[in-house]
Amino acid sequence: MKKIAILVSLLIVAGLLLAACGQQAPQTVVVTQVVEKNGEQVVVTQVVEVTPTPPPEPVTLDINWGTEPPTADPGLATDTTSVAVAGQMFMGLTKFNPKTGEVEPWLATSWEASEGGAVYTFHLRKDVPWVKYNTATGEVEQVLDDNGNPRMVNAHDVEYAVKRTLDPATASDYAYVLYIIKNGQAFNTGADGVTADDVGVKALDDWTVQFTLESPAGFFPAIAGMWVVSPVPQWVIEAAGEKWTEPGTVVTNGPYVMTEWVHGSELNMKRNPYWPLWAANGGDIKGNIDVIHGVMITEESTAFALYENNELDTTGVPLGEMDRVKSDPELSKEYYNAPDLCTYYYGFVNNKPPFDDVRVRKAFAMAVDKQSLVDNVLKGGQTPADHFAPPGIFGAPDPGAFSKEMPFDPEKAKALLQEYLDEKGMTLDDFNALGITLMHNTSESHAKIAAAIQQMWKDNLGVDVKVENQEWKVYLDTIKKTTPLDEVPHIFRLGWCVDYPDENNWVYEVFNNTAGANRLRRGCVDATCTEVKPMKFDELTEQAKVEQDPEKRKELYYEAEHELAVTEAAYIPLYFYVINTVTKPWLQRDYPPLGAPNYWDWVIDWNAKKAATGG
Amino acid sequence: MGRYIIRRVFGFIPVLFAVALFTFILVRVIPGGPFDYAGEKALPPQVVANIEAKYHLDWPVTWQFVSYLFGDDVVEFLSAGKYQQPADGGSKGLIRGDFGPSLRYRGQSVTDIIKGTFPISFQLGLLAMIIGLSIGVPAGIIAALKQNSWLDYTATFIAVLGVSVPSMVLGPVLIWLFAVKLGWLPVATWGAKPPFILGLFPRDILSWKFWSHAIMPAIAMGTGMSASIARLTRASLLQVIREDYIRTARAKGLSERTVIAIHALKNSMIPVVTIMGPLFAAVVTGSLIIEQIFGINGMGRHFVQSVGNRDYPLLMGVTLVYTFLLLIANLMVDLTYAWLDPRIRYD
Repeated sequence: MKKIAILVSLLIVAGLLLAACGQQAPQTVVVTQVVEKNGEQVVVTQVVEVTPTPPPEPVTLDINWGTEPPTADPGLATDTTSVAVAGQMFMGLTKFNPKTGEVEPWLATSWEASEGGAVYTFHLRKDVPWVKYNTATGEVEQVLDDNGNPRMVNAHDVEYAVKRTLDPATASDYAYVLYIIKNGQAFNTGADGVTADDVGVKALDDWTVQFTLESPAGFFPAIAGMWVVSPVPQWVIEAAGEKWTEPGTVVTNGPYVMTEWVHGSELNMKRNPYWPLWAANGGDIKGNIDVIHGVMITEESTAFALYENNELDTTGVPLGEMDRVKSDPELSKEYYNAPDLCTYYYGFVNNKPPFDDVRVRKAFAMAVDKQSLVDNVLKGGQTPADHFAPPGIFGAPDPGAFSKEMPFDPEKAKALLQEYLDEKGMTLDDFNALGITLMHNTSESHAKIAAAIQQMWKDNLGVDVKVENQEWKVYLDTIKKTTPLDEVPHIFRLGWCVDYPDENNWVYEVFNNTAGANRLRRGCVDATCTEVKPMKFDELTEQAKVEQDPEKRKELYYEAEHELAVTEAAYIPLYFYVINTVTKPWLQRDYPPLGAPNYWDWVIDWNAKKAATGG
Repeated sequence: MGRYIIRRVFGFIPVLFAVALFTFILVRVIPGGPFDYAGEKALPPQVVANIEAKYHLDWPVTWQFVSYLFGDDVVEFLSAGKYQQPADGGSKGLIRGDFGPSLRYRGQSVTDIIKGTFPISFQLGLLAMIIGLSIGVPAGIIAALKQNSWLDYTATFIAVLGVSVPSMVLGPVLIWLFAVKLGWLPVATWGAKPPFILGLFPRDILSWKFWSHAIMPAIAMGTGMSASIARLTRASLLQVIREDYIRTARAKGLSERTVIAIHALKNSMIPVVTIMGPLFAAVVTGSLIIEQIFGINGMGRHFVQSVGNRDYPLLMGVTLVYTFLLLIANLMVDLTYAWLDPRIRYD
């Protein structure tokens, strides 16, 4: 009897100790107890294993969105912040591999192209439910259909989303990305007699959706991964109108649901427990982040201070902190330099004398020391560019592919310019009297780059180039192809960032003189390019767009890039962007080069984070 | 006095109208429109046309202005149905308190944005103003009374320093020192989230959580102000002390304390009060720099960003709010004059 009493008292003590040790790392506790054994008092020492209770708080990722997202509606998103937000809440048909950028299954498990490549059929997952966050209970709830079953995302939702994006009444900026779909452009521009029913997207059954294209397009699976194709809930949009993306109203299907959106200040999310791809639900997505707490800090140096104070798990590195980050023993380990699929370039106005002569363009291009620009001016580990599309884009030549033909070579540059001057019977002074102008939009970093290149032209060619700048929207107006020749600068600055990882999005959409904005004014019959003649480059890019054989496409794009950067020297590719980031050691992450960041794959060592933040 | 105030308030209407009209024209004269580009990408003209149609930017400018002031239904009525209001009713017009939709933040109205950001800017501005006055006025008085003493030189030196060190330098220095190095205060953001007391004042004014966030931005904004107030107070008080009526007061045998406190101080406050009006309107509508540095969701940034985004209704909205506050503040200043200087009467 006594023994049982002793045992019970021991258990109670152990229980108390266990409670006191809650939320601690696993440990063993020594319990000392005086017990009566066979009529004598004995001191018994026992080792009790204390099992720690799992952390009751959700695993929280602290990030900086950077700015208030202009929208969370995937049909309207155009900027990286909106895409990042919408990408957590809505699944596209495909997604891009966060490491390689290749197209992978996402909402669609498989797809096939028809013979000829103008019809694509996607087969959808059948287990992704629509969910909604209940602001009153703080729980994520499944949306039920009329029969009380969870309402699954189906092919009709995809069809609706595509037609909605193309509907002129939706007024979506990125509707033009879907012009590749049959009648997409006609419907979006309100062509006579074309209705939503004529658009080449159709749900064959609940789980199969078919796209009919205007012309064969090998890159269509990449387009299908873009946010404008993500299924959206028709019934919610029709009931709530423009404000359908507010928490409590919005119905989503992605890994995270929006719980709170204080406009301009914070946007927070929570794990969607019904999402079938989580490992816990039998899927293969292993991220452990329960809550995304996202602030909107515009100022990079403030975000960096927040990071140093352990208030953010990852952030960008401001240029001013680069040297310190690289030399600091801790920060240098947390630093990572990830490629960003963007290219910075200087365009020539190809029909404005003297840049209507390829020798002048080549001379200016070869007189720029891009390596020195990257090392001494930019200092962010960028890659010098010798063509347009950065590595990671389908069809992009290897970096440096054309650097033999278009090297930094002041001697050759000078000779080319001299050849031109001799032919025209000009002296260098006459040339300088032309008032060559380089223009960029107002920004400190663009000004620095322009000043460096201006100096290179002065040193290597002896030419005087005037640098001017204008406010962004005024600037974009100035460099349009319709601006009279004497008002447009000779050389202008621009950049381009990826929408989908295919050369078509680069050389064709930007530089093809009928499909793109043709700011370079290539092949113009008149001064303001109301009429253009296709050049070899334009024909190559047209051809590559509809070519079915991937290898053949690569060859065509290689040739097109060569044509533009070397043969025509129509522009100067300067460098490929990088993102300089720091990440706390407790966060395991990827650096997806395009699309929304894959927070669903990220893993936080929660105990390490808590220990560091003192939480 | 009452009639004077009423007359002044009615006088606001033509001023607000004129500001609205000029801003409306000016923003449309700047080259570039809100939807020509997505980032660096030129949008196809058809896409731009779709978006412009949605926001009625395809209407003639006069009708757009009528719509801004009176609403889409009035436009439909006046144009005899030529320009139709959209299915959801469209803009109700300024006159009915609708500032229209934001062109940049799809789905948010300008009224939403102002409601969300103005209270924060107001709190911050008010705190900064309190700091500015409570440091600036006493410092100026001391400097004036002890003219050419070490106290004067110290105060003047600090004032010059305060004016010369801009908040864009002071802010990051404060963050580096008190948040990153010492770890006493959080780096950024404004502690309180709406709702506020009366829509403007912080709800938990007594909590350390609020003050720990508020103190650095308020100081960064307030010190520059205190410096200019101190200099102005000093100059004004020095001038007043040399006036005849002060000599008279002294000749009557009043104590120096009474002379300064009753006769000199009140009069010397007139220039200070004069700048307080515009200063008040300016600080409570936010400061871009302070908001950027401390990550505060205030209204100041919208003055700048709405121009860059060509977000016409948002730019109009913040401009009109600022104008209205400026008019109110100036009226207050004028009323204060009557109290400070007995020679001024409003009848």
